[in-house]
Amino acid sequence: MESILLFVVGILSIGAIYSILCLALNLEAGIDGLWDLGIVSFFGIGAYTYVLLTAPAAENHQHYLLGLGLPIWVGLAAAGLMGGVAALLIGVPSLRLKREYFLITTLAFAEVIRQIYANELWLTNGVAGIYGLNPPFSESLPPNARQVVIFALLSVAVAVTYLIVRSLCVSPFGRALKALRENEALAMTAGINPFAHHIRAFALAGALSGVAGAFYVWYNTLIIPGQFVADVTFFVWTALIIGGIGNNTGALVGGILFVLLHDALRFLPLSNDMAEVVSSVRTALVGVILILVLRWRPEGLLCERPARVRVRQG
Amino acid sequence: MLEVRDIHRSFGGVKAVDGVSLDVDAGRIVGLIGTNGAGKTTLFNVISGYLGADAGSVRFEGAAILGEKPHRVARRGMVRTFQTPVGFPRMTVLENMLVFLREHDTTIAPALFRRSVAGSISQAEAARAEEILRAFGLAAKRDIWVQDLGAPELKMLEFARTVMSDPKMLLLDEPAAGVNLALLDSLVETIFRLRDSGVTFLIVDHNLGFICRICDFIYAMADGRVISQGGPDEVVNNPAVIECYIGSASGSR
Repeated sequence: MESILLFVVGILSIGAIYSILCLALNLEAGIDGLWDLGIVSFFGIGAYTYVLLTAPAAENHQHYLLGLGLPIWVGLAAAGLMGGVAALLIGVPSLRLKREYFLITTLAFAEVIRQIYANELWLTNGVAGIYGLNPPFSESLPPNARQVVIFALLSVAVAVTYLIVRSLCVSPFGRALKALRENEALAMTAGINPFAHHIRAFALAGALSGVAGAFYVWYNTLIIPGQFVADVTFFVWTALIIGGIGNNTGALVGGILFVLLHDALRFLPLSNDMAEVVSSVRTALVGVILILVLRWRPEGLLCERPARVRVRQG
Repeated sequence: MLEVRDIHRSFGGVKAVDGVSLDVDAGRIVGLIGTNGAGKTTLFNVISGYLGADAGSVRFEGAAILGEKPHRVARRGMVRTFQTPVGFPRMTVLENMLVFLREHDTTIAPALFRRSVAGSISQAEAARAEEILRAFGLAAKRDIWVQDLGAPELKMLEFARTVMSDPKMLLLDEPAAGVNLALLDSLVETIFRLRDSGVTFLIVDHNLGFICRICDFIYAMADGRVISQGGPDEVVNNPAVIECYIGSASGSR
């Protein structure tokens, strides 16, 4: 019974991380119209930032920078900050490009960044990664309770992210983003500066993804470059499309649903041979679901709806 | 109010605008006519900041605005329209209006830290949008997506948006294109009403009847140059203009 509970908590924790990424992507690609194929960049930068700041100093057999052993909350904040700063740096040159050119540039940046994790041994210990990272509360709580607490914290993080993205959506800032998405030339006649708004949306999405990266380290207790390949970007896009692009609740549901589809089979007790087959099947399963959604519900399970504008009293 | 001096703009070897100067005084309705390819829309794009110019100057209320980005030009109170008034399709009619509310702060901080204010509009703002929408017959469509509107409603919404932005000057790009007669009348009425409230107009159109009916002063363009200027009667009866529109009087039989 307890193992089933832990299994569910594990799946939902990953689902929560994907929900945060989906909400971030929805802000930049669903509300604003930025086709970002590099969301994994900021996820990875957040994760590595967190590790380098909170891990103990590197021992002899490992090399990585810093290892300051700072408190987890500092690491979490820095992960968000660095995700946002990296997005700013990448956004300034690439946001001059439109649509498919922007898409290719962000994809390329993500790969460049992954090569840095993989090759700069002094910084990240390269492909070997950094192991044995103590998850938070590892001294104060037994392992099982710790997983539940981490899940609880992740739930709070999802709720806060949802609140942030939703508040932005219904504000004049969100309306300006939607206007740019819908008709950039016309939006400019309303005095909206396209670059200033795109870069803000991009940096915010980067910051939120960075925080998600730090949570991912909590969950995994290790970090390797292979966790931050382009697959993650495509998974998040798939999750958002299934959930409903442009709809924040859709993004939240899409993240969890995607992980249920993709990872539920991971925990089956299987022989090695079978495991190999099943791991291929699960990717195929996600592909089939994506095709079915695009065929019968092209706008996603929860599609974007006409917004109701609230009028305040007094 | 608007002074355009000796604007040149080429695309490759084609001189789309070749030394055009024009003036629009405050409170006037000035027309710009010419056949397809005469350079009207290029000139419009240069004035509104969507295109750079190779040479020349544009002054709006005394300030040099050539080279300014379109959103900056718009912030000065010079608002343009486009030939196809699609609006923001997947936003509601009301949202289309609110985007044009100048006073709204579109930065992030208020959205996050003053959520109750940023996430709503004041009663005064709602009333203003409501009043304009009612004037253009769109009040009932307030909460539907603009992509679900018909062509005449899109046209009306275009005017409603520009009124919402409270412009000093409007540049209208072919407002009468694809407009039926009944709608044309209400369009003319709207333009006059806005003029009376202090808005200055520069209007590009093919429709000579429409232009002559509303404009105080007309510029006619052909091959990137101004070939005639003056009151409606003067320009329409100018031989060079007639030649452009109908063909050469002597060349054809």
